Amino acid sequence: MSALATRPAPADGPVRRPGHATRRRSVAVGVGALLVATAAGLAALTLGRLGLALPEVAQVLGGGGTRIQRFVVLSDRLPRVAVGALAGLALGVAGALLQSVTRNPLGSPDVIGLGSGAAAGAAAAGLVWPGAVPVPVGALIGAGIAITAVFLGSGRGFASPFRMVVVGIAVGAMALAFVETALARATREDALEVAAWIYGSLAARGWDDVLLVGAAVVLLLPAALALSRPLGLVEMGDESATALGVPPAHVRTAGVVLAVLLTAAAVAVCGPVAFVALTAPQVARRLTRAAGPGLAAAGCTGAALLVVADQVAQRAVPGTPYPVGVVTGALGGAYLAYLLVREWRRASA
Amino acid sequence: MVVTAPSAGAAGAPAPAAPAVRRPRGRTGLLAAGLLVAGAALVLAAGLSIAVGARGVPLAAVWTALVAPDGSFEATVVASRVPRTLLGLLVGAALAVSGALIQGLTRNPLGDPGLLGVNAGAAASIVVLTAVAGAGVGRTPWAAVPGALLAAVVVQLVGSGGARAGRGGAGPVRLVLAGAAVSAVLGAVIQAVSLADPTVFDAYRAWVLGSLAGRDPAVVGQVLPFVAAGLVLALALARPLDALALGDEAATALGLRPGTTRVLGLVAATLLVAGAVAAAGPIGFVGLAVPHVVRGFTGPDHRWLLPYCALLGPVLVLAADVVGRVVARPGELVVGAVTAFVGAPFLVAAVRRGRVAA
Repeated sequence: MSALATRPAPADGPVRRPGHATRRRSVAVGVGALLVATAAGLAALTLGRLGLALPEVAQVLGGGGTRIQRFVVLSDRLPRVAVGALAGLALGVAGALLQSVTRNPLGSPDVIGLGSGAAAGAAAAGLVWPGAVPVPVGALIGAGIAITAVFLGSGRGFASPFRMVVVGIAVGAMALAFVETALARATREDALEVAAWIYGSLAARGWDDVLLVGAAVVLLLPAALALSRPLGLVEMGDESATALGVPPAHVRTAGVVLAVLLTAAAVAVCGPVAFVALTAPQVARRLTRAAGPGLAAAGCTGAALLVVADQVAQRAVPGTPYPVGVVTGALGGAYLAYLLVREWRRASA
Repeated sequence: MVVTAPSAGAAGAPAPAAPAVRRPRGRTGLLAAGLLVAGAALVLAAGLSIAVGARGVPLAAVWTALVAPDGSFEATVVASRVPRTLLGLLVGAALAVSGALIQGLTRNPLGDPGLLGVNAGAAASIVVLTAVAGAGVGRTPWAAVPGALLAAVVVQLVGSGGARAGRGGAGPVRLVLAGAAVSAVLGAVIQAVSLADPTVFDAYRAWVLGSLAGRDPAVVGQVLPFVAAGLVLALALARPLDALALGDEAATALGLRPGTTRVLGLVAATLLVAGAVAAAGPIGFVGLAVPHVVRGFTGPDHRWLLPYCALLGPVLVLAADVVGRVVARPGELVVGAVTAFVGAPFLVAAVRRGRVAA
C-alpha cells in the first residue's frame, strides 16, 4: 500500500528556492488567514450577551469604557480569542511538522493520538495527582508517552504512516479512557466540563493561559521556521538531503520534538481540539500550492480555523454554546473522510 | 480456511483413513471441555459483578439471595444488581459475536463495531431520535438500527473510496481510518445534540461514554429479543461463514450463496450492535479483542469461534465493569473506558503481526 503521497517535488531540481510567485502566494495566504482570524476575533469581541459596537471595543482596548465592558472584553473575550489564535497556530505548525516528517497528511498529532495523549497527561496532572507537576508539564509528558508508544508500537517508526495511524487510534483510545478515568475519580458531573476535557474547549480561558501558549509559540516558532528548509529537503528524499549536507535523521527528530512541544502547549490550554493540526497544513498547502512544509502558512491557517470554529461553536445554536472541539471534530472528521476517498481514487486511477 | 488438524489427537489416532478435513476427536473434546471452562468463567464473572459494589456481598450470600430471596438487606442489594449483570451479559455476548461476524464477513482482522463506526452510528441514531421523538421512541434498540446500518455503509464507501467492491474491496487499515473519521463526525453530532438538550440527556451522560450503570431494568427485556435473535442467526451462519473464508468462488462451488450469507450476517451484526448500544452505549474493542483471543485456541472455525465469543465476551465486559467500579472509587469508571485499556493493545498487536495490509 502506498502511503498518501505529499505533493511531489518539482522536477526541476530540489535545490532551487521556491519561485517568487509561490513565495508571494504563501505570504498572501498567511496574511489572508491572519485577516480572517482578526475578523473572527473582532466578531468575538463584539458579539455575545453584552453586545458591543466596534467603536466601544476600541474604546475599551484604549483604556476607556465602563467597568462591565472592561471586564467582559479584557477578562473574558480577549483572552479567549488570544488563546484560540495562539493554540491554533501551535497546532497548525505542529501538524505541518509531523506531516512533513511522515510525508503523510495522516501523520498529524490528532490522528496519531498525540493530542489525546497530551490531554491524558494534563488530566493526570490536573485531576488525578493535583500539584505533582504543573498541568502543561503533565500535557508534555502525556504527549511524549503517546508519541513514544506510537513510534514503538508501529514497529517501523515513522516509515509506515498507515500502521502508525492505526497504532495511534489505539493509543488515542487508551488516552481517552484515561481521561474518562480521571474525570470519574474527580466525580465531575458538569457536562460542559467533561466535554471540554474530552473534546477540547476555549471556554473560561484567562491571561495565564495566553501567557503559557504565547510563550511556547514565541520560543518554538523560530526554531520551527529555522527547520522549515531542512525539512523541505528531507521531504525530497534522504539521499538528496544528505548530499546537500542535511542529516535527515536529526532533522526528523527535531521536527517531532518541536511538534510534541507545540501540541502539548496547545492541549494544555484548550484540550484535545480535534483535527486542527490535520486540516490546517492541508488547507494551507492547497492554497499556497507550494512544496515543502509551509509552516508559517499552516500556523496562520490553524489560528484562523480555531478562532472561526470557536465562533461557529458559540453562535451556531443561540443559547447553547458548544465546545469548539465539537465543531472541529465534525469538520475535521469529514475532511479526513474526504482525504481517504481522494487518495483511494488517485491510487486506483 | 479448512482447519487441518494439529497434533492434538493425531499421535495415537486409530483412524488413519479419516478425511483430511475431519478434526481428530481429541481436539473436539478439548474444545468442548473448554466451552465448559468458559461457561464456568462466565458464571464466576457474573457472580463477582453482583457481589462487588459500594457494599460488598460475599459470593456465597449472592447464591443464597438468588435462589432463595429472604427479604434481607443483602437480598435487596443482590436483586438491585442483577439487571446490571444481565445487561453486561447481553452486551458482552452481542459485541464479541458481532465482532467475530464482521471479521468473518469482511475477512478483515480489524473488524470491530467500535472501530468501524457502527457503534457510533447506533449511538448517534439513538441520541437524535430521542431528541426528535422523545425517549419512548429513541431509547429502544429499534432506534439504533438505522444509524448502525448507515454508518456501516458509509464507512465501507469511504474506505473503498466509492469504488466498486470488485477491486478487492477496502483494506482493513483503510476501513479503520474511515471508521475513525465517521466516528469523529458522529461523536460531534452526539455531543451537539445532547449538550443542546441537557435535561433529556443528563441521565444518559454516562451511557454516551459506554456504561452499564444506572440503566432501567426494563432495558434488559427490550434488548433481549435483539441479542437473542442476533445470536441465533449468527450461530446458524457458522458453516456458511467458514465457506466464505475460502473466497467467494470456492463458497459458490460448495453450494453457498455468498450474497445471502453477507446480507444475513449484516442483519445479525446489526441486531447485536443495536441491542448492545441501546443497552450500554458505544463500547469499543470488545468485538476486536475477544475473537482475537478465542481464535488463538479455536482456530478460524466459526462453529467454535462464535460460541466461545458468546461466552467470553460477557466475561470481558462483566470483568471490566467490576474493575471500573473498584479502581475509581468513590466515582465509577465507565465500562467502555476499561475495555479500551484492555482492548486497544490488541489493535496494535493485530497491526504488528503484519498480516494486515493497508
